Amino acid sequence: MTETASPAFLDVRKAAKAFGATTVLDGVDLAVARGEFVSLLGPSGCGKTTLLRIVAGLLSSDSGAVVLDGVDISAKPPHHRDVGVVFQSYALFPHLTVAENVAFGLEARGAPKDEIRATVTRFLDLIHMSALADRSVRALSGGQQQRVAVARALAVKPKLMLLDEPFSALDRKLRETMQIELKRLLREVGTTAIFVTHDQDEALMMSDRIAVMNRGRIEQLADPATIYKRPATPFALEFVGLSTRLTGTVVEASGEGEVLIDTTHGRIRAPGRFVAGSPVLAAVRPELMAFGETAGENTIRATLSDVVFQGSRIQAHFEAPEDRPIQIESVAGIPGGAVPGAEMALSWRVADTLLYPAPAP
Amino acid sequence: MSAAAASLAPTGGQKDRVAWLAVPAVGYLAIVYALPLVFLLARSVTGPEGFTLSLFVQFFSDPYSWRVIWNTLRIGLLTTLVCLVIGFPVAIAMARAKGLMQVALLVAIILPLSIGVVVKAFAWQIVLRRDGVVSQFLVGTGIWSEPQRLLFTETGLVLGAANVFLPFMILPIYSVVKLIDPRLSEAGATLGASPLYRFRRIFLPLTLPGLVSGIAFVFSMSVSMFVIPSLLIGDRFQMLATLTGRSFLLMRNEALGSTTAVVLLVLAVSIVVASSWLAKRLGGTQ
Repeated sequence: MTETASPAFLDVRKAAKAFGATTVLDGVDLAVARGEFVSLLGPSGCGKTTLLRIVAGLLSSDSGAVVLDGVDISAKPPHHRDVGVVFQSYALFPHLTVAENVAFGLEARGAPKDEIRATVTRFLDLIHMSALADRSVRALSGGQQQRVAVARALAVKPKLMLLDEPFSALDRKLRETMQIELKRLLREVGTTAIFVTHDQDEALMMSDRIAVMNRGRIEQLADPATIYKRPATPFALEFVGLSTRLTGTVVEASGEGEVLIDTTHGRIRAPGRFVAGSPVLAAVRPELMAFGETAGENTIRATLSDVVFQGSRIQAHFEAPEDRPIQIESVAGIPGGAVPGAEMALSWRVADTLLYPAPAP
Repeated sequence: MSAAAASLAPTGGQKDRVAWLAVPAVGYLAIVYALPLVFLLARSVTGPEGFTLSLFVQFFSDPYSWRVIWNTLRIGLLTTLVCLVIGFPVAIAMARAKGLMQVALLVAIILPLSIGVVVKAFAWQIVLRRDGVVSQFLVGTGIWSEPQRLLFTETGLVLGAANVFLPFMILPIYSVVKLIDPRLSEAGATLGASPLYRFRRIFLPLTLPGLVSGIAFVFSMSVSMFVIPSLLIGDRFQMLATLTGRSFLLMRNEALGSTTAVVLLVLAVSIVVASSWLAKRLGGTQ
């Protein structure tokens, strides 16, 4: 056990894992502050669950280290790590009651009977399930099982909580309720948490910071607003939220960190530093686009193909020559009642344009 | 039965109709099994003047009978114990093995069932001889100073019987362990439970139904085995089943044969019932 001078509460250093010839985790660094809620967001197979299992000690990494609260726990077995896990399948003990499940960790640690009883009572109260204390967990609904799994993990006061897609088995409405409840519960207990999900809305809504993962790497680690407004890579851009994307070539680089780009929809400007001739990908979020021309800003013309009514706002889709969608989200509605087939001008601010090197095809 | 399981049961009418599927089996068993059993029972409590328990009184007042009962129980328990000790780890390994390995293990367990008991018993006769493989091995490794005969000893009988009945211990445990989510043990670990604690509090209670059926299978088969003791230990050593066989086949003593048969039946049934009762108690909330 080596003491390390690290400001982070959890410090994952160069964690790597391969299964046979497949690299699942490619030297990942992740630092999490005390009390923080960090989401690992990415498609299935991106390595997020593998990273979680390595932190929990359920899987050994090929190389790298896990430091928790200043102590290198890389070589410790899971039952000596003080890291709680809520599994995707909940993994409740089917032969035990609700109260016995919550008490399990405390009993395993040999806590005094009084303390166990008090803690179980407190947590059953926190998850509003005191009335079901003596019920078998097999008789519970999905949402109830999920709450018991969270309470069971929190009851031993772990230094770190890991949650592996805990809401994926719940229906949409219940999921939203449980998300709010989980946030409240974690705040009340004051636990540092890492949350694995492939659901961007869930990550944006719940996290202090989000780590966008792809192919065994963290592509961007930032707060939700930055992730959404300034995605660092084309992958992060595509994985989180909608966007209109235009590929093109830089024709001219100005001195003020702005480039002029030739796209299939005409010339646009974007902030960035690229030499002339570079293939690039320009993008803009749909709610930042407006109908009509705006002087001095980017304007393109496109043919309206579809309008989708979404209650508080509408989404307008335009025909795109490349296989990339052009879409606008607007709370104002379509100007002049334009119908599909109409050619319209669309504009957005130069400053709102996101610019990346064109990803390899 | 838990509330969840009860609520999954089909409703009355449907259940009654499905029950008719059991009629051929019930009819068959009634004719070839239950009826002869009733005759046997009747024979054991019938004397020249009608109903009597004199056969049982006579049987239980003979010290030799007690020796035979003790032989039966001892061999049955030892065989079950050997099967349990060898079979439990194998069942776990098999349930947790993946792909081809699991198939290979399953075949290795099930294939020997297709070989008749008589053939196996003769094979054991060869293995257990004074110059057999076991004796040679133990002398070679220095555990025994000189070759010994295991054939016609109780050790040889238990070894042979355990070999024949091992699949009946492994398969029920295997089928239960296979259904246990490996995540449960992981969940226990992340809650701070040591491997031993996890085994005791999670794995064992969930495996108990399989252990009980394995024990019940092997025990009831090993107290009532006839061919294996006949070939591996001989007439000198009598168990209830061999004595029953001798009474009917050699001594033509139907009275004694039906008495020992009933004693054996009561013994086997009560052990099986007791073990499942015990499992329910130990299983706690299950």
